[in-house]
Amino acid sequence: MSGIREVKGMTGDEAIANAAKLVNPDVVAAYPITPQTIIVEHFSDFVSNGEVDTSYIPVESEHSAMSACVGASLTGARVFTASASAGLALMYEILYVASGLRCPIVLAVANRAFSAPINIHGECTDQMVCRDASWISLFGESAQEAYDETILSFKIAEHPDVMLPAMFGVEGFIVTHALERVESLSKQQVEDFLPESRAAKYRFTPDEIMSFGSLVLQDYYMEIKRQQEEAMIKAYDVTKKVMEEFTEMSGRKMEVIEEYKLEDAEYAFISYGATAGNAKAVVDRLRSKGEKAGALKIRLYRPFPSLDIHEALSGIKAVSILDRSATFGSPGTILQSDLSTALYGKENVPTLHGYINGLGGRVLTLPEIEEIYQKTKEYHDVGMTTTLDWVGYRS
Amino acid sequence: MENMIDKKPPEEFERWVKEKWGSSKIPEGGVVPYHSSYGYKTGAWSAFKAVIDKEKCISCMNCFYYCPDSAIIMDENMKATCDKVFCKGCGICSKNCPADAIEMRRVTR
Repeated sequence: MSGIREVKGMTGDEAIANAAKLVNPDVVAAYPITPQTIIVEHFSDFVSNGEVDTSYIPVESEHSAMSACVGASLTGARVFTASASAGLALMYEILYVASGLRCPIVLAVANRAFSAPINIHGECTDQMVCRDASWISLFGESAQEAYDETILSFKIAEHPDVMLPAMFGVEGFIVTHALERVESLSKQQVEDFLPESRAAKYRFTPDEIMSFGSLVLQDYYMEIKRQQEEAMIKAYDVTKKVMEEFTEMSGRKMEVIEEYKLEDAEYAFISYGATAGNAKAVVDRLRSKGEKAGALKIRLYRPFPSLDIHEALSGIKAVSILDRSATFGSPGTILQSDLSTALYGKENVPTLHGYINGLGGRVLTLPEIEEIYQKTKEYHDVGMTTTLDWVGYRS
Repeated sequence: MENMIDKKPPEEFERWVKEKWGSSKIPEGGVVPYHSSYGYKTGAWSAFKAVIDKEKCISCMNCFYYCPDSAIIMDENMKATCDKVFCKGCGICSKNCPADAIEMRRVTR
């Protein structure tokens, strides 16, 4: 990193819009939904002011937004969109079309709780339930990470070995509407980092006579799905490489997971998104009381970085999984299920204690996180290997 | 078959069917050469076939445009003909024929 870093005050949504402006996508098709609206609102300002070369398609629903994105992407265009909650759920059908047709669309998610009861605040369930849609999935903790992940998502998705769509999420209001310090990048830096236009094996143009989206039945469907899995496996290495390049370019450390005081830790928190910031603050508090606490943040959720997590957690006695997403009747939180599969049967792994918290924007306070820490220690001491609790609600 | 245009799938299609291509060879994302649908003989499982009375045909081409499978072919005299290899027997052509020239006849196999 050379030169002076420019620092601006931006909300998470503004950060995403400003980063997308630097990327200058060919097409944006989006429909507004709180708390994502500001992203597309700001971006449409850039379009009407002539600050970007993007074709902006205003559509009548999120289903249409993603459909328009798929169509545009098939022509070889670089495509960006954004959504949240019910909007993302309405896109759900087309998410599979986007990944199945290998469209490297980038989608910003302002994570918001699902109805009913209707709620507009932060919760990550909307993005977690898209985990099987063959989309690369990232979470960000701050406006800064929202800014950075906007740019690097394009590079991961459009890599010729990957060619899968990518979504990244930041929690509604907690990140999207909070004004934070953001170190911005220059137009030149982004231009050097991202190829000018994206690679495309096939383009839907009058010059190439190809069929896109044909019917594929029992005889070939599984082969085409398997291609997606292989692309996902490659996406793991590509993401690591792209994040290294990004770190070098921006001077900001960007990794698939972030370790915080884990080296000599006995007990740790695992979280993603904004909760990770609170977990780190609690680690500091506990450390000052002589506790050997640490924290792990998961930035890349799909493909799941099992190896990195196993390595980071080896030697730790027990972990508290702070999961701001809802699941019902499940043996663990959504993240806990992934962690259990990733760690089961391996040596030197911690016991896993899941805590569903913060639904519908409910605040998880630092003292509550300290209580969780104590609870996990107790569970561990009595020999429980896996537990699931809801925290921060009135019974 | 008389008056039929040659509906042959692309050579690549023939190869991946014959050689049973797997995930490493099949085109990514199912993006395939044009006309690969000619490789699927959809008429093979139909319960009905369109039987067209050319005497009654007034060359309006309604059936040609309505057919969801492009299984109506206009012959050199601009009379409708049914391509039985691809006709699924849906009967849309028959319903939309103003001259009542198309009869849907049950197929026995």
